[in-house]
Parts: sequence; C-alpha cells; structure tokens
Amino acid sequence: MKRLLFYAIATFALLDQAGAEPIITLGASVQETGRLANTGRYYRDGYDFAVQTINDRGGVKIGGERYQLALKILDNQSDVNLSVRQYTQLLTQDKVNFLLGPFASDFALADSSASEKYEVPMIQGGGASDQIFSRGYKYIFGTLPVASKYFESTVQAMSKLEPVPKTVALLYADDAFDVAVAKGTRELLQSAGFKIAQDERYSSNSSDFSTLISQIKAAAPDAVLVAGHETEALNFIRQSKSLDFSPKLYSFTVGVPTADFRAALGRDGNFAFGMTSWLPSASQKDDYFSNAQLFAEGYKKRFGYEPDYHAASAVADVETFVKAIEAAGTLDPKKVRDAIARIDFESLYGHIQFSDVGQINLPQTVVQVYSDNVIPIYSQKGFVNKPRYPMPAWDKRP
Amino acid sequence: MSLLLQIVVNGILLGGLYALMALGLALVWGVLNIVNLAHGAFIMLGAYTSYYFFTLLHVDPFAALPLCMLTVFAFGFVLQRYVLNLIVRAPMFNTLLITFGVDVVLTYLAQIVFSADFRVVNPSYAGANFTLLGATIPLVRALAFAMAVALTLTVWLILGHTRLGRAVRACAQNLVAARLYGVEPRTVYALTFGMGAALAGAAGGLYGVVSQINPYIGDPLTAKSFAISIIGGLENPLGVVVGGLFLGILESLTSLYIGSTYTDVASFGVLVLVLITRPRGLLGKTT
Amino acid sequence: MMRPIGSIAFVAMLLALVFVPWLAPPALIQFGTTTLLLATLAQSWNIIGGYAGYASFGNSVFYGIGGYGTAIAMVQFGQPFGVGILVGAVLGVIFALLLGLPVLRLRGHYFAIATLALAEAMTGVVSNLDIAGRNIGLVLPLRKGDAFFYELSLGLLALATLTVFWISRSRFGFGLIAIREDEDAAGVMGVNTTLYKALAFLLAGFFSALAGGIHAYWITFIDPVSAFDITLNVMMIIMAIFGGAGTIFGPLVGAILLASISELLATEITGMASLFFGLVIVVAVVFMPRGLTDLTRRFPGLGWRYFRENLRLHRL
Repeated sequence: MKRLLFYAIATFALLDQAGAEPIITLGASVQETGRLANTGRYYRDGYDFAVQTINDRGGVKIGGERYQLALKILDNQSDVNLSVRQYTQLLTQDKVNFLLGPFASDFALADSSASEKYEVPMIQGGGASDQIFSRGYKYIFGTLPVASKYFESTVQAMSKLEPVPKTVALLYADDAFDVAVAKGTRELLQSAGFKIAQDERYSSNSSDFSTLISQIKAAAPDAVLVAGHETEALNFIRQSKSLDFSPKLYSFTVGVPTADFRAALGRDGNFAFGMTSWLPSASQKDDYFSNAQLFAEGYKKRFGYEPDYHAASAVADVETFVKAIEAAGTLDPKKVRDAIARIDFESLYGHIQFSDVGQINLPQTVVQVYSDNVIPIYSQKGFVNKPRYPMPAWDKRP
Repeated sequence: MSLLLQIVVNGILLGGLYALMALGLALVWGVLNIVNLAHGAFIMLGAYTSYYFFTLLHVDPFAALPLCMLTVFAFGFVLQRYVLNLIVRAPMFNTLLITFGVDVVLTYLAQIVFSADFRVVNPSYAGANFTLLGATIPLVRALAFAMAVALTLTVWLILGHTRLGRAVRACAQNLVAARLYGVEPRTVYALTFGMGAALAGAAGGLYGVVSQINPYIGDPLTAKSFAISIIGGLENPLGVVVGGLFLGILESLTSLYIGSTYTDVASFGVLVLVLITRPRGLLGKTT
Repeated sequence: MMRPIGSIAFVAMLLALVFVPWLAPPALIQFGTTTLLLATLAQSWNIIGGYAGYASFGNSVFYGIGGYGTAIAMVQFGQPFGVGILVGAVLGVIFALLLGLPVLRLRGHYFAIATLALAEAMTGVVSNLDIAGRNIGLVLPLRKGDAFFYELSLGLLALATLTVFWISRSRFGFGLIAIREDEDAAGVMGVNTTLYKALAFLLAGFFSALAGGIHAYWITFIDPVSAFDITLNVMMIIMAIFGGAGTIFGPLVGAILLASISELLATEITGMASLFFGLVIVVAVVFMPRGLTDLTRRFPGLGWRYFRENLRLHRL
C-alpha cells in the first residue's frame, strides 16, 4: 500500500515536471480550406511533423534549459485579408513567440507586413516571388528559391540538348509568383540565345487553355515553358492531348514532382519536365530526421500521402527557428532575427542560408516524369540521367 | 486563316459545354422564377458522383450520366420541397440570399467529405480527337456539345408537350388556378427544380473529363451560367444554346485578338450591355 | 420613429466606443475595426437596398474602387493618405453616377444581376491595368498603430448612420420609400425617381468607397480578387437584412452580431465560420426576413407565432 502511494506520488511529480517545461509557440495562418487547401495542407502537416519530431528529440535548448515547441495554426480559408488579420491576432492575442509562413507568394507578400509591423521574425517556405524581399523588410525570410531563377537549370539543360531547341514559348499566370518567374525566365532565355516565339500571360485559375494551345500550336515552337499552378499544368497537358499538340519539350514550374499530379494524369504525364528544389534522397542529412528519405517515409506513414518540396520547406522553417533560437540563446525577437540572418546549416531540405534580403539560394533540379517516376535529369553538376527527348507525338507514344 | 478556324471551332465547342452547364439554371429561372446561386454546387456534386462511379466502380462517365443526373435530381428535389418551398412567394431577393447560403453550406460540406484534393476522370478516350476541315476537334467536347443540344430539345419538348410541362407552366403563370385544376404545386415545383438540378448534374458528370474537380469549382460556373442564361434569354430553352455559343465564341476570339486575361471583361461586359439594352436576351422579344 | 432615449443611448455608445483603443487589447481593436467597416458597408447598402428597395449585389465595386483609388494615389503617385482617400471617394462617386444611370433603369432581380455582373467585369478590368498592379495588386506603405484606423472607421460609421438618420426624416427619404413600395405610383405622385435613385446609389457608393480606402491602407495590400470580393456583397446584405433593412440601427445591430459570432468561430473553430454563415443566411431568410428590428418589435406581441406568420406568408 505504501509502495503504491509512493509510486503514485512519484508519477504525479514527474507529470507535473513534464507540464512545467517552458514552451515556445510558433504561430501560422495556413490554407487548410479554400481553393489553395490542396497545397496548404503540406505546410500544416510539415510544421506539425517538425514540431513533434523536434520535441521528441529533446526540444530547444537555451542556456541549459529545455523548451518544448508548440504550434498554433489558424485556417485562413484561402482568403488573403483573413490571413493578415490572423497573423496580427496570433501576435497580439495569442502572443506567439515567432511566426511561420503561409503558402503562396501573394499571401506571404501581404502577411509579411504583420511581422514587420510588430517586429517579430517570420520564416515562410511558401512564397518565392522576388517582390516579397524587395521592400527592405527586415523580419521576413523565405526558404523557397528565388522565383526569377526557377527555370535557370532548365534553360541550362536545354542549351545542352541535342538537337538544341530553337524557339521557345513562354506561358505564365498573372499572379505574383508566376509573373516574377516569367520576368526572370525571359532574361535567362535571351542571354542563352533562345528565340521566344510566344510570350503569353493568362488569368490565374483559368481552366480552359484551348485558344492558347491552338495559338502556340500554330507557331510551332520547339519548347514550351509554363509558369502556373498545379491545376493549370494539369489542364494544359490534358487539353494539349485533346488538341493534338506536342512540342519537343514542355516544362512546368509546379506539379510535376507531386504524387497526385502524376496519379491524375497517368501515362499522359510521361515526358513532362518539371523542377524541384528537393528530392527525398538518403544523402541529404538532417539533425532531427536523420535524412530526407527517412523523413519522406515517416511523413507518408503519418499523413497518408507523400511529401514534396512544400513540406520539406515547411520543416526547414521550423528547424531554422530552433537553430537560430539556440544560437541567439534568447527568445528576444530582434536577437533571434539577427541569428536567422546569420544562419548556416544542413537540413533535409538542403543548405539553409539566407541572402541579404532574406531569401534562400537553392538550385532547382530538373526532373522528368516517366512511368510514374520522377527522374532527376539535370542539376548543378550537369546531366544526372539521360532525358527522354524529343517528346514523341501523342499517337506515337509507347 | 486555319488558326482562326480552329479558334472558332474551339469557341463553338466551349459554347456547347457552357450551354450544358447553364441549361439547369435557365430552366429553373425561366419557369419557376427561382435564381439558384447554388447551381454551381450542383454541378460540383454531379462531378464528384461521376468521379466515384468511375474510380470505385469503373463505370464509364457517359454511362454514369443517368446516375449522376438521378443523384443530383434527388438532392434538388429534397432541397426545393423542404427548404426553398418556404420562400417561394417571398420577394425574389430572398431566393438569391437563401440559395447563396445553400451554396456556402454545400461547398463547406464538400470540402469536409471529399477534401480539397483535385480529382480527374480519365477514361482512355479522354484525349481522343479527330480532324475536320483542318481543325482538330476533341472528341469529348464534341460529344458534350451534342448532349447539350439533345438535352435542350428534351426540355423544350417536355415543357411544351407533356402533362408535366403543362402543369409546370400553369403553376408559373397562376398558382391559384393551377390548384383549382388539381395540380399539386409543391410537387410540381420540386420536380422542376429537381430537373434543373439533374441537368446540372449531367454537366458535372462530364466536367471531370474535360477539367478537374474540387469543391470550389462551383462559383465561377454559376457566374458563367448566369451570363449565358441572360444573354440567350430565359423565355426559350434554346436560348441557352444561343447564349452558350455566343459566349464561347466571344471568349475565344477575345483571347486570340486581345489577350486571354480579358475574357472575363468581355463576358461580363457583354452581360451588362445585354441587360441594359435587351434584358430579355438575344432570343427574347424586345418589348 | 426615434424616441429621445434612443438618440441619447446612441451618442453614449458612440462615446464609449471612441475610448476602446485605450482600454481594449489589440486583437479587440482589430476585430472592432473590421466590424465597423462591415457595418459601414451594411449601412451604405441600406440606403440603396433597404430604403430605395433596389437590392444591389454589386456594392463591392465601390469598395474596390475606393481601395484602388487610395492605393494608386499613395503607391504610384506618392501621395499621403488624406489625398489618397479623397481620390478613392471621388472615383467612387464618379463610377456610381456612370454605372448607376444605365443600370438603375432595371428593376427587381435584373438590377441585382446587373450589379453583380458589374462587379465581375470590374475585377477583370482592374486585373489588366498596369497602374493597378494587374492581378498581383499593390502593396501600400506601412503605418503602425491600429488605433488610427479604428477611430477613422468609427467616424465613418457615425457619418454613415447620421446620413441614414437624416434620410429617414427627409423628403428624400420618403421619396425613396415611395419608390420601394411602388415606383410607378411614386413617379405619378411627382417624385423624381431617376434623381432620387441616382442620389441613393451615389451615397451608397461614397460610403463604400471610403470604407474600401481605409481597409486597403490598414491591410497594406490590395488585389482584384479581394477588393471586389463577391462574398463581401452578400455579407453586407445579410447583415443589413438580419438587423433590419430600411431602419437606422438595423444594419449596425446585424453587423455587430454576425461579425462577432463569425470572428469567434474563425478563431476558435477555424473553418466552421463559413458553414455557420451559410446556415444563418438560410435560417434568417426563412424565419425572419424582415430582420431583428422587426422581430424585436413584433415578437413581444405575437410570440412564436411571429415565425409561423412569416412562413405562412411566403411558403408555397
């Protein structure tokens, strides 16, 4: 009886101790519902997985004391105005310590005003547009590579193909991210000596590309580069098939590396080029997840779907905060902000280091889809695998 | 020159799809005077029905169409009979608001049940096409066009030449008199609304084959269907085909000559013009 | 009619609200500002929809134009906020006249559809204008200090409510009500229906534009989709109707109640807010189409029969 009592008291004492550990709260407003929810979930789940794993590995250490990470996520329903108000609320009412970002450049653009107003650092892995970082803001950092350089590896690879494509059609949606991509890509193409046969801007969320495809088909370029969203890339490929349009090469900024994109297209997705700043390879080491491959497996097991670079970027954001807080040795927002600006470490996402304006510099790997596999084709070191080029006509595909 | 031909052909086929989408809305609006802002949500439901039949039971989307229509019909019937019936004699404005509320609820529930992942219906012939007079014609769109015309004619026949049609028109004109003649208005209204919903379901059934499905596809489709119904005119079911063709060709030509970011300006600009100058639409009478 | 106790209560409440920024936590100020702006929109809709009976589904056009006027003046021409908001208001009034005159000739749901179409068309037009930042929008200069925006919104709401108060007791207002009840009879009786309708539309546009300008500067961001948001239209209408269209305080009450519950849901059970909103619309339209003010006036006498009466009148 006495022993039972002893154990009971000991257990309560231990539990009490566990509850008494200080907490660092990270706040985020994410698209859990609404038209961007399909990608927003990668961020919610990525943040969650990261926080859980880091806590399991001992949490954050500041000056000998251990802190647990907590996450407060609000659903902005894919509404920019609501997300701005939610970030302000997270800071002023919920009193979170630091901020994690939303998905999409236009959200990051608007939401970073909140972090700047209240002088609390925000690390976002969802917005790549150069515009986010060109306003002289000090409290916003981004782990998606610079938008204007998205097609850099692709253009380099293209100039080394045989036969070299001569004419290129550039298609882009009219939102912040894709306009930035197009601007940079134009310059890249021109300096590499490609002739831009068509340069067309289309409305975001268009579902019908018939006219554009017919126009491009009439101009018959060798290559087509599309800067748009996943659903647009999907519609483009399907409608290209039904209009019998097949250039020698087409490449998309998003969609190709993602599993449900390939599942939706089936064999029609073959030969499409895309890019990713992240591949789940075992050689990409990480302090909390061991390596990127184990992370991908753990993620799939926990959430039921495969992660892509969005999720990896989200995890990198959380890890960056942990490293910065530990380096600064304090929770003071200004000091942590300075620590983030100086950060330099390897994670499952890649090498984390920010430029003067707060954006990461990661090269994109050119990938190609074949038989439901995403095959890395070209990275900074040159051709990794042989690309399947030129793309055969629709009725001649194996 | 052949580019122009192709663009016009694209416009016609797009118009066929549009007409198919707008038919249900125009029917309910023209006959029952109910403006259904949840129309797009019905199309969305039809699309998901088709998706599940295709993915789980391997039923071809065209074969599944009657099933889609039946499912959404039941849905619309129940909605009208037990919810919308309650405000039929209220000012028209109330219908606008209540159907908007229904739209919001349906979209939210769809997000919960189906999740926001986009889905496609990809039968083997999804990308099939044939050439005619130098223009490439996607097979599925051509079939959708044929279906739009067929369904419109069916509606026109039902309204004009069957007992049900006469009952519906009687209710629309004079409720009291209709009752005196033994027509039960509540059932008739519910049946008609159900029919409108079924037509939306048919459009949805094909939607997943030509585009992709997610809970949020409804609202832009409702807006388009509006424009088509008004431009074509609500008095004649064939107005939908005229309106659809007009809009489809207008958008394609705008995209070619001005730029594809101007298509909305063109469609809604024309809608405003039609409303101001010829509110009864292209097929309506001018008085 | 307004009894003296009503106006004293109103002024007292107004004074109390002025002091909120010094007493309340920042999140409450933020919520307050949003609610005040929504209430202004509901009140401005009240003028054209509640009093004149012209249910506009496109007031968001003026909200957006006001916001863009302010943004363009401040971002592209480097003007201070005072000039920006003036530009926004002037643009709002000009467009109200230009767009109103042709569209106000339509009746009933055709008018509603036309205004809706205008909102969609405007979104398309603005997303192609370089000066407006096309579809990316504009980022406005940062201004710290939410109290400023709160007080400004409060002032705007007070101005709008006072205007409605004046309307309710003026010949103009009686003319509007006459138009609502029977436009042709009103014309026969000598009411200049075209002038009155245009004036009502202009006033609605003016206040909506000002609200839009304040909101743009506050959020420091504007883009076509959020500026001309169609849902905003429905929200302002349902708030006005829920509270009581055609009354002075109805839109205020409706806005405060619905905004509070919606915000509570958005923060606590995020995601459910839209579901709640949809259900409220359905229930309110069916059971209390004349709003809360009518409900509070007639419920004491009729009890639950009030709801049954509404149903009986409108059901098939």
